[in-house]
Amino acid sequence: MKYHAFALRLLLLAAAPLLVDCSSPANTSAVKAGSSDVAKGKAAEKVGPAKDEDADEYATAPDISDPLEKLNRGTFWVNDQLYTFILRPISKGYEFILPRPVRKGIDNAFENVKYPVRVVNCTLQGKFKRAGQETGKFVVNTVGGVAGIFRPAENIPALANLPEEDTAQTFAKWGIPNGPYLVLPVLGPSSLRDGVGLAGDYALNPVNWPYLWWYAKRSKHDWVIVPPLANTLRSTPAQMEKYDSITKDAVDPYLSARSAYSQNRAEAIKK
Amino acid sequence: MTLRYLLPLLLAAAPLAVSAQVAEAQTRLKTAVTEVLAVADRTANRGALPEKLRPVLQKYVNFDTMTKRAVGPGWKQFTSAQQQEASKLFSTLIIRSYSGKFTPGEHPDITYKPAVSLGADRVDVPTSMVYKGSHYTVVYRMEQMHITDVVIEGVSLVANYRSQLDAQYKKGGATAVISSLTQSVSRPQ
Repeated sequence: MKYHAFALRLLLLAAAPLLVDCSSPANTSAVKAGSSDVAKGKAAEKVGPAKDEDADEYATAPDISDPLEKLNRGTFWVNDQLYTFILRPISKGYEFILPRPVRKGIDNAFENVKYPVRVVNCTLQGKFKRAGQETGKFVVNTVGGVAGIFRPAENIPALANLPEEDTAQTFAKWGIPNGPYLVLPVLGPSSLRDGVGLAGDYALNPVNWPYLWWYAKRSKHDWVIVPPLANTLRSTPAQMEKYDSITKDAVDPYLSARSAYSQNRAEAIKK
Repeated sequence: MTLRYLLPLLLAAAPLAVSAQVAEAQTRLKTAVTEVLAVADRTANRGALPEKLRPVLQKYVNFDTMTKRAVGPGWKQFTSAQQQEASKLFSTLIIRSYSGKFTPGEHPDITYKPAVSLGADRVDVPTSMVYKGSHYTVVYRMEQMHITDVVIEGVSLVANYRSQLDAQYKKGGATAVISSLTQSVSRPQ
């Protein structure tokens, strides 16, 4: 029992980057913004700013329904303490030990390995051309970039800076609405739809395959937790930086994170 | 008779005026970015950076419009003094936040994409930015050649603050908005 509880905690930790990637301005290519798009963005479920005769386009910026606000605010506070007292020190330590070029190479390799997440979701959304581009990018970066440590594909215009795709975006393309806004423990801002999408992303990420296999087999090969843990560790500094950029100068950090999350996701889905 | 000849001419000139406006907006944005980076490079003391950047940003950013939009419909209920106070606090918050993004010696690699005219002196200037090895898409929304919003990775700065300040206004009117801004500004960095 204890063994499984430990496994579940690791699973949650390992999934963190997947969610936070979606929860804040993404560092790779999450959103190609068009402020006009933001302005005209469809509000799936609106609870935010009031409208009046003088309401401008910002009154229609995407927001998300939040019927569990009290609970979410509680989880947000707990997460904030966790980030401040545990994850941020870990992140600082990681940054202190490894110089930036090394960290960048590690990030690149892990992002490259996530190829199945991107290609499967491109395909499920009918974006076959982009699925082809993703394949090209993966091949170029894996072969020419020493297992993805370097990103030579960035120098090829057709393969550079492709938008991120994930399972929740696929659900959205299929017409599944956000559902209520959720702040997940450790993982942070999400929605019912995006939370379910995370499971898909997790299963499609090869980093987690040995662990999932081990978990299914109930056998004990402790090394299998190393790739998901390493993935979590390497992504923590970027996630902390994003979290700070959203909450540091906010009037209400909770609302700032919710607004940033819903706007960012709405934009990512459009691409 | 004259009108018959003048009208086609006017119609033909309209797109030229729009394209001139779009080009001017992009040029102005480039100048603003260059000036900001020059100031950031000259300022060794990062604590002093917000005050060094303030005059440059005030030249290119319309903080009054930004604050008005960030507050939302409640803005009309503010007294003139409250509007000034809110605008002052909001600009301080934005300048401080913006200054905190700079790392000494790091320069973003910015690609300016074709600007889009939205009519009525409004222009969007989309850019693609690489900073510290990461890609960002940033759109500068300009009105009358002043920046009135910045949209980073789909997240509008104004819309983000609107969600917070509108909630404050609904709680306690202009006083609550000003009080929350004062609190944020006085928060230690």
